[in-house]
Amino acid sequence: MTRLKALAAVALVSTLLVTSACGGDSGGPAAKDGEVTLRFSWWGSDARTKLTQATIDAFQKEHPNIKIKGEYGEWAGYWDKLATTVAANDAPDVIQMDEKYLREYADRGALLDLKKAGDLKTDKFAPETLSAGEFDGGLYGLNAGINSFAVLANPAVFKAAGVALPDDKTWTWDDYNRIAAEITTKLNGKGWGTGVIGANEAGLNLWARQNGESLWTPDGKVGVSAGQVTKFFEYVLKLRDSKAIPPAEAVTQDMTASLDQTTFATGKLAMGFSWSNQLNAFSKASGQELKLLRIPSTTGQAAKNGSYYKGSMFWSVSSRSKQRAAATQFVDFLANNAAAGNILLAERGVPPNTEIRAAVTPKLQPADAASAKFIEEISKDLGEPSPAPPVGGGQVEKIIQRYTTEVLFGRLAPDKAAQQFLDEVNGELK
Amino acid sequence: MQKRDNVTAYLFLSPWLVGLFAITIGPMIASLYLAFTDYNLIEAPAWVGLENFTRMLSDERLHNSLRVTFTYVFVSVPLQLAIALLLAVVLDRGVRGMAFYRSVFYLPSLLGSSVAIAILWRQVFGTEGLLNQVLALVGVEGKGWISDPSTALGTLVVLNVWTFGSPMVIFLAGLRQVPTMYYEAAAVDGAGPLRRFFGITLPLLTPIIFFNLVLQIIHAFQSFTQAFVVSGGSGGPSDSTMFFTLYLYDRGFGNFDMGYASAMAWFLLVVIAIFTGVNFLVSKYWVFYEN
Repeated sequence: MTRLKALAAVALVSTLLVTSACGGDSGGPAAKDGEVTLRFSWWGSDARTKLTQATIDAFQKEHPNIKIKGEYGEWAGYWDKLATTVAANDAPDVIQMDEKYLREYADRGALLDLKKAGDLKTDKFAPETLSAGEFDGGLYGLNAGINSFAVLANPAVFKAAGVALPDDKTWTWDDYNRIAAEITTKLNGKGWGTGVIGANEAGLNLWARQNGESLWTPDGKVGVSAGQVTKFFEYVLKLRDSKAIPPAEAVTQDMTASLDQTTFATGKLAMGFSWSNQLNAFSKASGQELKLLRIPSTTGQAAKNGSYYKGSMFWSVSSRSKQRAAATQFVDFLANNAAAGNILLAERGVPPNTEIRAAVTPKLQPADAASAKFIEEISKDLGEPSPAPPVGGGQVEKIIQRYTTEVLFGRLAPDKAAQQFLDEVNGELK
Repeated sequence: MQKRDNVTAYLFLSPWLVGLFAITIGPMIASLYLAFTDYNLIEAPAWVGLENFTRMLSDERLHNSLRVTFTYVFVSVPLQLAIALLLAVVLDRGVRGMAFYRSVFYLPSLLGSSVAIAILWRQVFGTEGLLNQVLALVGVEGKGWISDPSTALGTLVVLNVWTFGSPMVIFLAGLRQVPTMYYEAAAVDGAGPLRRFFGITLPLLTPIIFFNLVLQIIHAFQSFTQAFVVSGGSGGPSDSTMFFTLYLYDRGFGNFDMGYASAMAWFLLVVIAIFTGVNFLVSKYWVFYEN
C-alpha cells in the first residue's frame, strides 16, 4: 500500500515538473500555419496608444499571418520594464527606443543592425535624420519623428492673466522670468507663469549650447562646465524666488506625474518646457489650443538659442528576436507606408520620410500641424546637431531632476549642486 | 519500515523541495556569483572579485539609502507595534462586535503593501490630495507631502504603521493565552488596570512581542513597493524615499549594474541577519517564557 502511495507521489512530481517545463517555454514562436506573433512596446499618452493601435490594426489587415501584441506604459516605468525583459531574454521584438538609451542597448548587442535586416528601406529619409540612430557602421534605431525642445504656451492662461503672448524671436531668459512672474502675480493664486527648466537634461543642454558648450561631446564625454551648470541652477533659483514657477513640491510632483496629471496639462500654467511633438498630447489632455514658442536665449536672438532637431524616438528591433523578418517588415510599415503615416501623422514628431511628410502635412490636426509648422520655421535658425548621449548617459535625466529638487528646496547651493551633478554624471559613464 | 516512511515523506515534500531549489536557492547561488562580477544584464558577467563591495564603501547614494531605510525601520516598527498592542488590549476587553473591528483593523494589512494602496497614497498626500482638502476645511494650508523631501518618508512611515492589523491579530491571540486567574488574583490584591497591564499582560506577552518585532523588522527592511510607487520609481524627491531595496533595483534594472545590485542584495541579507541575531541575543534579557 505504501509503495503504491510512493508511486503516486512520484507520478505527481514528474507531472508537475513536466508542466512547469512547458510553462517556461512561453517565449518561443507560436508557429501555427506560418502565423507569427510579434511583441511591440512603446511609451506615451492615451492619444498615442490609440493611434498606435490603429496602425497595428492596419498592418494586420495587410499581413493576416502576423499578429502584433502591443505593450505600452508611461515613460517612467517603461525603461525598468524594458531592462528587465531584455535581461530575462524576453525582450519585445519591436521596441520604441529613445536617444538616451540607444547606445546603452546597442553597444551591448541587444539591438539588431537594421541595415543587415534586409527589408527596410530608408532611401526616402532625409539624410540627417538617419545619422542619429547610426553608429559603428550600423543602424540600430530608425528615426520615428523629428522634434525640438520648445516652450509650450497656453494662450487661455495668458488671457486670464491679461498678459500678451511674448515675441519668442527676441526674448531672453530674463524676459522669460519677468513675464512668467507677472503672470503668477496677475493670476493671483489660480496658477503660475511657467514650469521649471531642469526637469530634464534638454534644458541644460540648450543652456550649455547657448554658451558655447554642450551637454555631451562627440567623443562621449561630459561637455558642460561647472560654471555653466551653476549659472543654470542659479536661474532655477531665480524662477523660484520670483514665483514664476509653482512651489517646489508641486514642481517635484510634476517630475513623476503622468502627462495628463501635470500642472501644465491641468491648465494651471501659462508656459512649460516640452518637446515639440508633445503639443498634441498636451492639447488633448488640457483641451486647449496650445502654442509652441522658441526657447529663450542669452542674447535675445532666436538663432543663437542652441536649438537642434532631435530624433523624438526610434524604432529598434531586438537582436534576439526570433521573428526578425516580420519585425523589420513592421518597422518598414511604420516608417514608409502611407497608410501608417496617415494614422500616426506627426504625433511622434514630424515624419523623417520626406514622401510621407509631404503626404500627411495637409491632413494634420491643428495641434500636429502647429508642431510641424514650428519645426519648419526653426529650420533656418538651428545650431549644430547635438551629440548623442554615451553609454551611461541615460541616467542624466533622473540625476538632474534630483539636483533641481535639491536646489529648489534650498538643500544645496547652485555651485555645490553643479559640482555634485557633474561628479555623478561622470561616475555613470562607462 | 521507518526508512520507507521517510522516502514517502520526501516524495510528498518533493514539490515544495523542487520549488525551494529552483526558485529560491538556485537564484540565490546565482546572485552570490554575480555579486563578484561586472554584469550588465545583456553581456556575459565578468569576474571582478571584491570590487562591488569596495565600491559600496564610497557610494554616497548607498549610504543615504541605508540612512533612509534605518529611519524607516526604527520609526515605523515600534510605532506600528505600539498601536497594534494598544488596540489588541482594547479589543480583548470584549468590545461588542469585536469580530467586525478585528476584520476592519486587519484589512489594511492585506492591502498595505499593494500597488493600489500606494497609488491611493499618492493621491491622498499629493498637493491637491485628500489630506490637504481636509486641512483646508479647518483653515490650514497643506503642502505636497510626498513631493517635499522633508515629509515624503513620513508618509511612508504612516503607511506602514497603518498596516498594524497583522501584528494586532497575533497580539489578540496571545492575550487569549494569558490565564484569567492571574488577573483575578491581582484584582483581589487591589492592583489597578495599569498595574495589571504592566505586571501581568506585558510580561506574559513578551514572547509574542518578540515574535512580532523580529517579523516586522525583517519585513520593514525589505519594503519596496510602497516607496517605488509613491515616488514614481525614483525614490525621490531628492532620494528621500530611496530605500536600500529601491536603490538596489535602480542600480540593477535602471542602470544595468546587476553585479553591484547582487552584491547589495547580499549586503542587505547580512544586515538583516545581524539585526535578527542581535534581537535573539537581547531577547534573553527581556522575553519571559512562563515555563
